[in-house]
Amino acid sequence: MRTDNVKRWARMAQKPLMLAALIVLMAFLAPGVFLSRSNIASILMAVCIYGLMVCGTIFPLLNGGIDLSIGSVGALAGSICVLVTLRYNSSVGGTVLGIACGLAAGILCGIFNGFISYQFAVPAFIVTLASKNIIYGIAQNITGMNTILSLDSKVMNWIGTGKIAGVNFTILFFLFIVVATYFLLNHTKFGRYTYAVGGNAKSARFSGVKVNLIGISAYAISGFTAALTGIVLSCFNRQAVATQCSGYDGDVLVALVVGGVSLAGGEGTIQGAAFGILLMGILNNAMVLLGVNSIYQDLLKGVIVIIAVALDMYVKNKGNGLSRNIWNRARRSAVNS
Amino acid sequence: MNTLLQMIGIEKSFSGVKVLKGVDFTVGEGEIHGLMGENGAGKSTLIKILTGVYPGNSGVIRMNGKEIFINSRSDAMANGISVIYQELSLIPTLTVMENIFLGQELTFGKVFLKKKEMHRRAEQLIEKCRFDIKPDDLVETLCVAKRQTVEIMKSLLLNAKLIIMDEPTASLNAAESENLFKIIRNLKSQGTSIVYISHRLEEIYAMVDRLTILRDGAVVGVLPREQIDPVTVVRMMIGKCLDCAEHTVHDAASEAAVLEVTNLCSETLLDHVSFRAYGGQILGIGGLVGSGRSEVLRSIFGLDHYTEGSIRYNGEALPRSAREVSRYGIGLVPEDRRNEGLIPLLNIVENMALPNYDQLYETAFVSGKRERQLGMRGIESLSIRPGDPNIRCINLSGGNQQKVVISKWLQRKDLKVLLVDEPTAGIDVGAKAEIYEIMRRLANQGCIVIVVTSDVEELIKIADQILIMVDGKVFQQMRNENLTQDDILLAASRIKRKEPDHAN
Repeated sequence: MRTDNVKRWARMAQKPLMLAALIVLMAFLAPGVFLSRSNIASILMAVCIYGLMVCGTIFPLLNGGIDLSIGSVGALAGSICVLVTLRYNSSVGGTVLGIACGLAAGILCGIFNGFISYQFAVPAFIVTLASKNIIYGIAQNITGMNTILSLDSKVMNWIGTGKIAGVNFTILFFLFIVVATYFLLNHTKFGRYTYAVGGNAKSARFSGVKVNLIGISAYAISGFTAALTGIVLSCFNRQAVATQCSGYDGDVLVALVVGGVSLAGGEGTIQGAAFGILLMGILNNAMVLLGVNSIYQDLLKGVIVIIAVALDMYVKNKGNGLSRNIWNRARRSAVNS
Repeated sequence: MNTLLQMIGIEKSFSGVKVLKGVDFTVGEGEIHGLMGENGAGKSTLIKILTGVYPGNSGVIRMNGKEIFINSRSDAMANGISVIYQELSLIPTLTVMENIFLGQELTFGKVFLKKKEMHRRAEQLIEKCRFDIKPDDLVETLCVAKRQTVEIMKSLLLNAKLIIMDEPTASLNAAESENLFKIIRNLKSQGTSIVYISHRLEEIYAMVDRLTILRDGAVVGVLPREQIDPVTVVRMMIGKCLDCAEHTVHDAASEAAVLEVTNLCSETLLDHVSFRAYGGQILGIGGLVGSGRSEVLRSIFGLDHYTEGSIRYNGEALPRSAREVSRYGIGLVPEDRRNEGLIPLLNIVENMALPNYDQLYETAFVSGKRERQLGMRGIESLSIRPGDPNIRCINLSGGNQQKVVISKWLQRKDLKVLLVDEPTAGIDVGAKAEIYEIMRRLANQGCIVIVVTSDVEELIKIADQILIMVDGKVFQQMRNENLTQDDILLAASRIKRKEPDHAN
């Protein structure tokens, strides 16, 4: 029992420790710069935009699905938001309507993904890979492949760059969404059902859980946060373009997986995912600060992701004999000979 | 009889707890050797040491008198020991031939497959054992019984001298089991030894030459065939005499609740099934696997669609979706508890609370405290062990997992009907008795309990009314009074003792 507790603590503390180690290391390698207020703000700004996506996309993953369409949804929602806003001459009401339309589009995209995936039992990977193209296509059409500037909407500009008590609104908003996701996952029936469906959909159904409804809602949430990301990005850049957010899906999945969310469903926490986001953000920042040549940055990032995930799986499986541990094997064959 | 395998003084501890305390185990050449014991007695640990899954702490293993060291599954195979697990380890999308040669393909120069040669060898093997399969059959198209024969062929191809079968009949029906027994006897006649692990006493009596019984990690007896009898075996296994008290039939009170199933038909199987179940009674449904027993339960629970007929509780028609039926106060304990009954990664509390959130919290929000209280209540009332509500259900023993599944429904305040499919499959004798008691207690509280079981002994022991199904029809309904196992078995094979030629 005691060793179990120690193990549990070790597992829980593992990610904060990794993060702390990285921070201490960087504080020594880049003294004065890394821990400066402006650098911390720039790290947070860099992660908080796609971090919004992570908070929603964790839901389909916990259900045992995946959402690859989030980048396109971000592009579509940003474009719709800017187009509607411009149509109403960037008035406050017009901007609010634009944001609402963008979010609605995101939710609809999510419902579409979820509906196809659950009602026709199509693997989520395929559905969202295809819908990624469909949604990107729509975004291209409505923008005519132009970059659409939106310089005059006060609301949008404030969302992009406004500050509350000296902290960027975007960062605060991200923190708020993380807390809201934590609450949704841990303190609502919906959260309980999400873990149940991901753990074993069949027995969840046998317990009277509406599996399809939970599943489709998860995609709707994922679409919603993807749209939020797209809109916030458009506010920040003061423009919308069909290619915005492209590549975010990869970053989001990396942050989730590094944060310990299982691709098989049923396992993972938003706290873990938040650590994943921060870890990747600090890593990117560190490579820039240390002057790592940009041709090595992607390579290094990939290697670090693999090390982080392999380590996580190793610790997780050590106790249950699932680990294919080379040391163990070597020891066994030594005994045998 | 020459001794093939000798295990002497095998010991094994897990984190300081001794699970095997110096076990001696011998198997003769061409012998069918039974291995019995309650869950946790050490059967699986012993087998896992023999097959290299765990290293033993101490002890000697000899094959044909020569000491061997088994540190991995491949060591075991190299020494002619192979296992056929409950969960079959075949690859469904490959053919029979591809499966049996998997990892031991015949090749030209270690690269190119000798397909014709493998095909011929597979055919020979099938012929020799008189199996009813073809080398090119896809494994996913085969039934469980045939998949098992593929597993056996895989072992034979490795020249296995000792085949270990762990609960091989758990998912087979009577005819398939009979066929498996034939295959086992055939193997025996060709000199292969079999270690046969089963919870089903009747199979052990019918099959084995000798029986080793384990209790608490030690051998309590090795019985030759002629000394094997039910009372002795059960007493040795559980260390006490099971209460074989006379069964008393409980009659329903006149104002008791009633579940009325009328002319239930489904597209594929059920054919005008009608019966009534009363509160205060346990209705047992018997019959062969595939006779429509589970389908009746699933239809009541709203999982299977039925084309005709009605299901009423006290005259009120039941809804037709699992969610609504469960909210109405009807619970199902499914046959496959790992895949349908539990969420293995969630803990005891979360599993128990799952169907009860509508009663636990009025709003969409949960607080955790009430869940915990409910979990502790469930753990205490059914004495689930270990009693730590934070343990993930995957780490519980089969009996305790089953208690969690039952307890899920017992926590509903308005539970009216409990449907239980194979309540004690793969569960040890001690936990079985507890589960019977739980069901009886529930019936005594006025609930309707409907139990489907393949275990005839169990049916007679627990049911007040017995319903026998054959080919999707109700063949006979009887009051469980002076019934013997023969009556049940005959009815399941379409023979009515009292009215011989009246078929439904």
